[in-house]
Amino acid sequence: MSLRIRDGIAQRLVLVTGKGGVGKTTVTAAIARSAASSGKRVLAAEISYESPREAGATQDAEITSPLAAALGTSPLVDEPRRLDGTLHGARLSPLAGHLQFLRDTLPMRLLADAAMKSAAVRRFFIAAPTLAELGIVYRLLHLLSLERPNGQHEWELVVCDLPATGHALALAQVPQALVDILRGGPIHAAAQEGLSLLRDPARTTSVLVTLPEPLPVSEAIELHEGLHRLSIDCGLVVLNRVPENPFSAEERAAVERMVTDRMRMLGARRLPRIDRARAACDRLEHELHMPVRVVYEANANVTTSVLEQLRGAP
Amino acid sequence: MTERRSAPSLATEGLAPSERWKGPFIARLLADKRVVVCCGAGGVGKTTTAAALGLAAAMLGKKALVLTIDPARRLAEAIGSPLAARAPVPMPDARLAEVGIRGTLSTWMVDPRIVFEGMVRRLTTDQIQADAILQNRIYRALAQLVAGMQEYTAAEALYGFVEGGDYDVVILDTPPSRNALDFLEAPRKLSLFLDERIVGVFLPGSSGIFRNRARQIAHGVFARIFGEGFFDEMQQFLATFSGMFVSMRSHAESVRKLLKSDASSFVVVTSPEPAALAEAAHLERTLATEMLLPFSGFILNRSWAYTRGLRSPSELVLPPDATRVDHAALAKLEQLAAEELRLAERDRQLLSSLRKRRAGCQAAATPQLDGDIDFAALVLIAESLIAPTTVEDALENR
Repeated sequence: MSLRIRDGIAQRLVLVTGKGGVGKTTVTAAIARSAASSGKRVLAAEISYESPREAGATQDAEITSPLAAALGTSPLVDEPRRLDGTLHGARLSPLAGHLQFLRDTLPMRLLADAAMKSAAVRRFFIAAPTLAELGIVYRLLHLLSLERPNGQHEWELVVCDLPATGHALALAQVPQALVDILRGGPIHAAAQEGLSLLRDPARTTSVLVTLPEPLPVSEAIELHEGLHRLSIDCGLVVLNRVPENPFSAEERAAVERMVTDRMRMLGARRLPRIDRARAACDRLEHELHMPVRVVYEANANVTTSVLEQLRGAP
Repeated sequence: MTERRSAPSLATEGLAPSERWKGPFIARLLADKRVVVCCGAGGVGKTTTAAALGLAAAMLGKKALVLTIDPARRLAEAIGSPLAARAPVPMPDARLAEVGIRGTLSTWMVDPRIVFEGMVRRLTTDQIQADAILQNRIYRALAQLVAGMQEYTAAEALYGFVEGGDYDVVILDTPPSRNALDFLEAPRKLSLFLDERIVGVFLPGSSGIFRNRARQIAHGVFARIFGEGFFDEMQQFLATFSGMFVSMRSHAESVRKLLKSDASSFVVVTSPEPAALAEAAHLERTLATEMLLPFSGFILNRSWAYTRGLRSPSELVLPPDATRVDHAALAKLEQLAAEELRLAERDRQLLSSLRKRRAGCQAAATPQLDGDIDFAALVLIAESLIAPTTVEDALENR
């Protein structure tokens, strides 16, 4: 899949979001590759809530590191790793963010490491439901602030694959809640900083991925509203897996004359899907007032690879 | 018609004759189990399948409840579930009777705030204490946040409804987390958070020099990172909440026991997409081999496997005066038909590979339906799950 953003991406952070199963990971990989091909230092990132040890238990890259699988590389780790030219990959884990946070906050690095070793502190960070998201936002802030000796940004662009719809919203909701709960202190400050990063259209934009069916389109429109409510910019809508329409208008009219009952005719069952895809595209453009990038579904012979996968592991 | 009915169905095809007479495995699950948990990757149609399972249970005469996490609006309409109800909403009997269903079907969209509030009110002894907890800012922030809380409240709600005994079978649609099994860990995670070693650090009154020392250190660290006021508020929150910890932990333990028992069953929902299948295989391994949970089988959703009774475009005969456009159109239609047949063959092979994944593993398919999932479509899916021979006929009358 190639997703060329015509005039390049002005922002530093791209959040790829959408419902499960719509192909966010493939879109993330495509955007990152495309941006890196112009020589930009790009970090493709995925969010992982599992601790490295737990993740190590399963060797299945598709599961532990879907972005790595999409980029055709071994599972991503906390430290950014060079994949190809200026393209790098990393995972964003709450743990790395928490450690970073403690190091930045506590007077001595030693104390931060000791605090993370304290069972009470670590458990609190792992288990307190909001702090995972904050850890990830903090990690993003840190990666974006890194500079090279010559003063340039270490990562000119971070493209981040968000796990599920809720997460795009949670990433912004959580700092907001923390800003509301905490009256001051470093977490308040970090949350505030995270919020201003996510809400600054000059620095952050989101890419909304959806499928060409009525339900996913409704959900995409709702998600778009949610992003708008939280003041997160949405720069691109990707309509993924659109069925290709092989018929010209005349040919289609001819098919309509030939086939009386589409649902009872092999092949003709595809026609309503094609029509729905067109309607989906029109509706998105009309309601969101923005261009929609159409990605056609691959008609490659998926049969063999699917069966191989199933035969593979016991 | 009769011929078609007697053809082996997709749900029983490939099973030993002794297995076949018992009927599709989904029908047996819905008849025997109190809890059916639907797991699967995002986007495979888990919520739709959960709703169809509920409807199928009602078809079998059961009092069924479907707990969903995040139904899309249209689906919520199809199953007649308002988005912000305080309790399960029964589908009108008349609507079920229209399609000849004897049982009942209720649905509820799990709302973390409502579940938490119910739990606080149930577990606290007096009104004042309950109000104090519900008013606490930390409590309110925790209960409102999307992340993490859905998982815990889903487990909590499930427990409540199974204990309550108002339903014969409860079907749980698992939350859309990246890790579809998070909700199983949620009670454990929450009890970690509520561990007395953490709570003790915050709570005043516990004695011992070590405790005091630990509290001082923790106070220092937390005051530094969360700001001065937070420690006091956290302390107040935990002090009011602590009365509930014991019951919450025992709840969490009961949920685990229930899910591990014979009364429960896990089905993995998947679509024929490679990524979804990889996740399904991973889920099956984790459920059955690592977590030792009662895994029963797969539901291959939106499959193309049903092709019986369909005509082929090659049967079409063009009139002698047909134009070049007509011929081109027919050729393209034939290509699409060939593609569809390949998909059908792929899905039939998938079903049989899924069944071979482990001893006793079962798999059923639901048909790829056109357009939105409305009530009529849910009825079709439900029928395909429990009485697959009628689906072809149902499609005809649609």
